[in-house]
Amino acid sequence: MHHANHFYGHAHVLARYAGLGDGHPPRINGYVQHGWNIGDGLAPGHPYAERTPSLLWSEQTRRRAWSVGRRNVTVIGAPFVYLLAMRPEEETQPPREGTIWYPFHGWEGQHVRGDHKELIARIRDTEPGPVTVCLYWHEHRMRRVRRLYENAGFRVICHGYRGHWWKDTDPQFLDQQLAELRRHRRVASNRLTSAIFYGIAAGCEPAVYGDPMVLADEDPTFGGTARIRRQWPQLHGEQVHLPTAVEIAHAELGTDHRHPPAALRELLGWAYPQEETT
Amino acid sequence: MTTETASAVTLPGGEMLAWSDRTDSAGDGPLATLAARLVPAGARVLLAGPHGPALLDALAHARLTCLLRGYPDAAVVAGRVDRVLVAGPHGLPAGEEYDVVIAGAGLDAIESVEGERLGWGGLLARLVAAVRPGGDLLLRLDNPLGVHRLVAAGSWYAGRDDAEWTVGGVLDAARPANLEQLRQRLAAAGMRTGACYAAYPRPDLTTALLAVDELARRTTSGLFDAVLHTACTDGYTGRFVLADPARLAVDALHAGRAADLAPSWLVLARRPAAEPTDPDDETHPLPGGEVPGHLPVALVGGRAPDAPVVEVLDGAQGWHWRRPDGAAHVGTGAAPYASREVAHRDPAAPDGPVPDGRLLRSLLLDGCLRRDTALLRRLLRGYADWLDSQAEQGRLAGAVALAGADNLVVDGDRWAVLDRSWRADAPLPVDVVLARTLWRFAADLLTGGYAHPWTSTLDVPGLTVVLGGVAGRDFDRAVVEAAMETEAAVAAALPGLDGAGRVDLEPSAVTPTDPPPGPHSYQQLREAWLRQREENTRLTALLNWTENLLTARERALRRAEAKINLLSGSLSYKVGRLAITPARMARRGARAAKRRARAAIASKQGRQK
Repeated sequence: MHHANHFYGHAHVLARYAGLGDGHPPRINGYVQHGWNIGDGLAPGHPYAERTPSLLWSEQTRRRAWSVGRRNVTVIGAPFVYLLAMRPEEETQPPREGTIWYPFHGWEGQHVRGDHKELIARIRDTEPGPVTVCLYWHEHRMRRVRRLYENAGFRVICHGYRGHWWKDTDPQFLDQQLAELRRHRRVASNRLTSAIFYGIAAGCEPAVYGDPMVLADEDPTFGGTARIRRQWPQLHGEQVHLPTAVEIAHAELGTDHRHPPAALRELLGWAYPQEETT
Repeated sequence: MTTETASAVTLPGGEMLAWSDRTDSAGDGPLATLAARLVPAGARVLLAGPHGPALLDALAHARLTCLLRGYPDAAVVAGRVDRVLVAGPHGLPAGEEYDVVIAGAGLDAIESVEGERLGWGGLLARLVAAVRPGGDLLLRLDNPLGVHRLVAAGSWYAGRDDAEWTVGGVLDAARPANLEQLRQRLAAAGMRTGACYAAYPRPDLTTALLAVDELARRTTSGLFDAVLHTACTDGYTGRFVLADPARLAVDALHAGRAADLAPSWLVLARRPAAEPTDPDDETHPLPGGEVPGHLPVALVGGRAPDAPVVEVLDGAQGWHWRRPDGAAHVGTGAAPYASREVAHRDPAAPDGPVPDGRLLRSLLLDGCLRRDTALLRRLLRGYADWLDSQAEQGRLAGAVALAGADNLVVDGDRWAVLDRSWRADAPLPVDVVLARTLWRFAADLLTGGYAHPWTSTLDVPGLTVVLGGVAGRDFDRAVVEAAMETEAAVAAALPGLDGAGRVDLEPSAVTPTDPPPGPHSYQQLREAWLRQREENTRLTALLNWTENLLTARERALRRAEAKINLLSGSLSYKVGRLAITPARMARRGARAAKRRARAAIASKQGRQK
């Protein structure tokens, strides 16, 4: 299995949904898209075996992947959608309050250029209620960055470690994220990212504003932040038209493409599970 | 010179003593049924050229004269008809007129190698002269650009067969090459053209006659779609062709060109009555309403010589089926995988309405090609819900239980079985019915080489499960296996019922890299080869990737082992191990004590019992 399939506990969520239990998930016969992206659904720079299936979130991504030469691409929807199906919102959920704010992160090898203080001021001016700031794990470990947000009076959290090379993946990553999202009325970020779409799907009102904190070595192949703003202007701003956002999130997360457990087992190569399955 | 060799056989000259035109008695059913409708009792009928026994049987009520060039063919029909003329066209006595003249094999088969050649125009003139004023001519013309020609593996102009002592073709301007030219030629010969039928699937085999005006008008008709697909698949089974004739014919239907691409046409023309007020002139038969004398919009037979011919008539309530009396016999087939018969043909079913709508198979293929998963979801959920609504205690019986995507029509939200004559003998679980339809469609989709939205790693049962998911049903491979067993049993029962030479393929043997059963098409064989190559490329890349990964993981393991060894030899490890030795020994002792106690309790309990 490609190690990226384990990021954020995606393989664990899919295995749970497919009825294979909570243990170590069996190998997936393909690459599961591990985050919302504006390219072919695969992370640039990761090595892939040619013609191994790409299991993508949305039909739009599938078309794009095909157009850049990818084959054997199919849409299964985001793992988050499978999690939502397993954990419907409870009636007794406490009332939602405040905003969960995701400052854009790069991954471990990238360096974000931007001013956290400026961003904090913007958040304070904009958000009406209490703010929870969710940092990416490596920023959360950076005491300096964490303190900046804590000193601003924000609650600072981290959903967990996404894992790397099968190590230290937090299988509860998405569960924790979903639980946090459901505590908040709004979800916001300085970039349109997976978290915004997850938030919309989890019932939050979205907002995207502030300095997008461009990466020092951002890959311009698919147009970068400028293209994101051109293609999804409806999702940018301090206030966003909710029905439109819900519709877009529905399509981008591939909610309608969610397969039932038996079909998912076939698509992931789990029809005849290997030994390591629980 | 005239020589009598038998009471009914006349040889007026120009006969071919060793020649026979008939090689296959199949495919005359639709023509025979049509002719039976046209010919009143006692009418004088000329059958010009070779015709099969079905036509002779259908016209038993008429006075028949056969004009045949081959003597062996004459010997076969002698005694069954009033008169047999074994001759070329010149042998037809001048001045003799008939109520109906039928040239069901075209004009070429009338011309003999002996004597002066008349050519197509001369032959037509000769036959027209034999039609009485007010009488009818039923004429076949081969299409030089029909489906059969477009998929032919050999070129038409290289003809080397015995019958091709001359090769007639589209270059011969004296011969009509399309329907419009045929109408013009008939008009020029003084005939008024009436009904026209497109004859599929081959010029030498007609299992379907479809009215050309309706073909042009009803381009999305599920009935025409199903009939063309079945006729062209069965009609070319086992033959080597360039491309799938069924795909081409159905595409032509949707493009409004199924009549233009028909392998041959059957045209009915009337010679105007001498008196313009002759009432015969006013009731020229045309496909249409239920008025007596009006003709069906479709006549569909099978490959077997005795296959019943089903007619489709147009009426005030729309199209409806009509089967000739006695054809709706009950047949049964023994199934190798079931302890008893699984399917039969229901004699009470046929005369119902033909439901409107598009064929589910075509709609699903379209959805797959356009990757319109929303459409596929809507269609398959609609189908699964419809099955649920028909079920009693979760089981389906009758026609619904057997109808696959090639026998179901969809009109908006309305679903219907096209041909309800096939019935399941025992009710089947809804999931099994759904899975069987989806398995058959998945096999068609994969072996046919169609583009679709799913990965190449799915086998046919796997894709069936995925399609079940698209239909909103979560069944697994166990259900698909039950469906495949049902499919094997039904497939085994079908030839017994139809007598047709269907290709029986063990369902579990179908793999995505196989070409489809039926015609051996170059395109589909090549596509199957490309799929195999693609699969090999994928597996090779995967193997390389796995090898590299294994190397990396082995390296990581070696590093980890080295680290463990290093740590095991360190002073701190040794001191630590020494420190915990009493604890380890105590644990070991405790375990042993526990084991002994358990054994003692168990033996005590055993004694008490």
